[in-house]
Amino acid sequence: MDRGALRQRIIDWLDDQYHFGEAEQKIGDDDASFLDRGVLDSLGFVALIVWLEDLLHLAIDRRNISRENFDSMNKILDYVERRLAGERS
Amino acid sequence: MSDGTVIHQPDPRRAAASQMASFQRLCEDRVGRRFGSWPEFHRWSVECFRDFWRLFLEWADPAVEGDRDPVCEGQDIETAAFFPRLRLNHSWNLLRPGPGQEEETALIARDETGRRVTWTRRRLRKRVAEVAQALRARGVGPGDRVVAIARNDEAAVVASLAATALGAAWSSIGPDQGVDAVLSRFRQLDPKVLFATGHRFYQGQRVDLLPLLREVVPALPTVERVLSLDASDLGSLASGRLEDLGDGAGGEAFDWPRFPFSHPLYVMFSSGTTGVPKCILHGAGGSLLEHLKEHRLHSDMGPGDRLLFTTSAGWMMWNWQVSALASGTTVVAYDGSPTWPTPDALWRVVAEEKVTVFGTSPAFLQFCRESGLEPGRSLDLSALRTIQSTGSVLHGDLYPWVREAVGDLPLHSISGGTDILGCFVLGHPMLPVRQGRSPCVSLAMDVRSLRAPGVPEDGVGELVCGTPFPSRPVGFHGDPDGTRFHAAYFAQNPGFWTHGDFLRLFPDGSAAVLGRSDGVMNIRGVRIGPAEIYAILRDVLEIRQAMALEQQAPEDPGGTRLVLLVQMQPGQVLDRPLTLRIKRELSRRASRVHVPAVVVEVPDLPVTHNGKVSEKAAREAIHGRLPANLQALRNPECLDLLREHPDLGGRFLRASRDAQVEGTHDHRTRQ
Repeated sequence: MDRGALRQRIIDWLDDQYHFGEAEQKIGDDDASFLDRGVLDSLGFVALIVWLEDLLHLAIDRRNISRENFDSMNKILDYVERRLAGERS
Repeated sequence: MSDGTVIHQPDPRRAAASQMASFQRLCEDRVGRRFGSWPEFHRWSVECFRDFWRLFLEWADPAVEGDRDPVCEGQDIETAAFFPRLRLNHSWNLLRPGPGQEEETALIARDETGRRVTWTRRRLRKRVAEVAQALRARGVGPGDRVVAIARNDEAAVVASLAATALGAAWSSIGPDQGVDAVLSRFRQLDPKVLFATGHRFYQGQRVDLLPLLREVVPALPTVERVLSLDASDLGSLASGRLEDLGDGAGGEAFDWPRFPFSHPLYVMFSSGTTGVPKCILHGAGGSLLEHLKEHRLHSDMGPGDRLLFTTSAGWMMWNWQVSALASGTTVVAYDGSPTWPTPDALWRVVAEEKVTVFGTSPAFLQFCRESGLEPGRSLDLSALRTIQSTGSVLHGDLYPWVREAVGDLPLHSISGGTDILGCFVLGHPMLPVRQGRSPCVSLAMDVRSLRAPGVPEDGVGELVCGTPFPSRPVGFHGDPDGTRFHAAYFAQNPGFWTHGDFLRLFPDGSAAVLGRSDGVMNIRGVRIGPAEIYAILRDVLEIRQAMALEQQAPEDPGGTRLVLLVQMQPGQVLDRPLTLRIKRELSRRASRVHVPAVVVEVPDLPVTHNGKVSEKAAREAIHGRLPANLQALRNPECLDLLREHPDLGGRFLRASRDAQVEGTHDHRTRQ
């Protein structure tokens, strides 16, 4: 799955779970903080991680759940790309 | 480690010094016999429930006036009346001076922003008396209803105790509800006063409630005063603020009037499968005695303890938590997100406030496990001695997590509900904790597991209660002849209270509540009546008919999710925009928990031969089973789609079913 496709899957998931058609508007900018903009709360982050693990067949160490890795759309996509590249190498 | 394994043993010295042990000794001395085991003591408390309650009243010593006889008039659980000649003031019982407690902290209010407020018992009582006097001067008194949209903070505690001190009935809901949810409840009560908070916090966001109040206030024409619970500017909507009530004299002249034992204290709401939410009236004396029993005997709480229960002001655990003041326990009220600003935020409060009894939910414990938290290692939880969990089924796999990540503490799964403002199954300070089970059923309650005819003997059945108990509701508001009250709890099994849960009882007296047995849903600990969902969906004109069901979540074994089946109007199709609009409307007008995890279009819903839509048949089908009475359906073929639909977990359920051992496939056997 390329970056654009994964981004759309995340948008769809956010709409299904939390924002019901308004996820794009809520996110605003792909570099904006999910926490600060109320896109996800702490419970939502854990749900997102569990969903990503299932979708991408990845195991994500809970110690890596941090603002640095997951607090914006671009950070999530970057993290996933790094992980998938690491798995392939 | 499997379910039923002993996972915690109580410390023998602490068990011997518990209030349960003290009270059992009193009973043994008075009745002249020794109870050799817990089941024996419990059996006596059921068979001789009048003796039990007489002795408990003597031992607990609440502030009551009048003749203690008769203990209970009548034998019929539906109509029996406890202590008909006693009078009391519920608030006084929670606030009266206790030995050495006047300057002790009675209430701590904290929230996610870091705000912390403490109140001594003396200060709290004086403030409640002041506010009660001010409300009385504004015409509030016995027979009135005072309602609130409140946060879990000190303002809600003061307002509720002041209103009930005057004999008014209190009813509160949390600030996260939509306008339909608020009005479908409060409009039925014809309230005289509305207390309202102007905002709420969640995950660092301040949510303004003025838009909600602008819709709610005009729709409650009987409300004479709207009083702000906080410093928010409610503009012309409010006629005053709670903090401005009172003359500053400390309420010295307030007389704490006594009311009959069954005088209405709280109105709680229970939404069902049809109609508007039921308004359940709970009496002052019954609530007080039941909570004293649960707090002091089953939870061993008293002076020196600190109770924090994760709750909103709209859940019965809020009322339960406030009642702990009557046992001399300090209440720690926490408002906002339990995971803000850090995932372990609530555990930090537990540590900082030296909480001794922490009440939470399976969903929160599950979140902590999935987040990899280890609060027992990262924080000083040395004051903590018990964790209680309620709201939904506590599955066995969370017990080892608590032991490993929190500590070797009793994890007590307690269960009952809004309907009885208390619990049928509870903890016990002298009994071991078995994985996946509650240690015991409540004293003086003849809790049984009633099997339906033809159902195999596996210890699982309907949770019913056969003895009269003081916290049985007084009735429903707006149900003068008791017809709805009878239909809700007594019609299904005459002579018993039928609670709507499945229960398994074990020979050692432990128990496991296994989920709802009726159409009411419990999604991650929140009870939802489908009727509320249907009322909102009537405005989605593309839908002809809908059915909301609770389903074991295929992706989350042990968890549950809300499934919505929709039958469309001719020519209409359920596409993604419509699915999202359905979810958005339910979130906006009811609450987030009313939003289905999945919406599925179906050509047909199961209908009986007399034209009634069968939720029961559909529920069986979405769990991959065929209903027992298939011949009762006019269109049984429609169930095939529900059983096999991939969005309803068809493949998962088939695989799961195939993997199960013969005879254990019934959903009621999960623990």
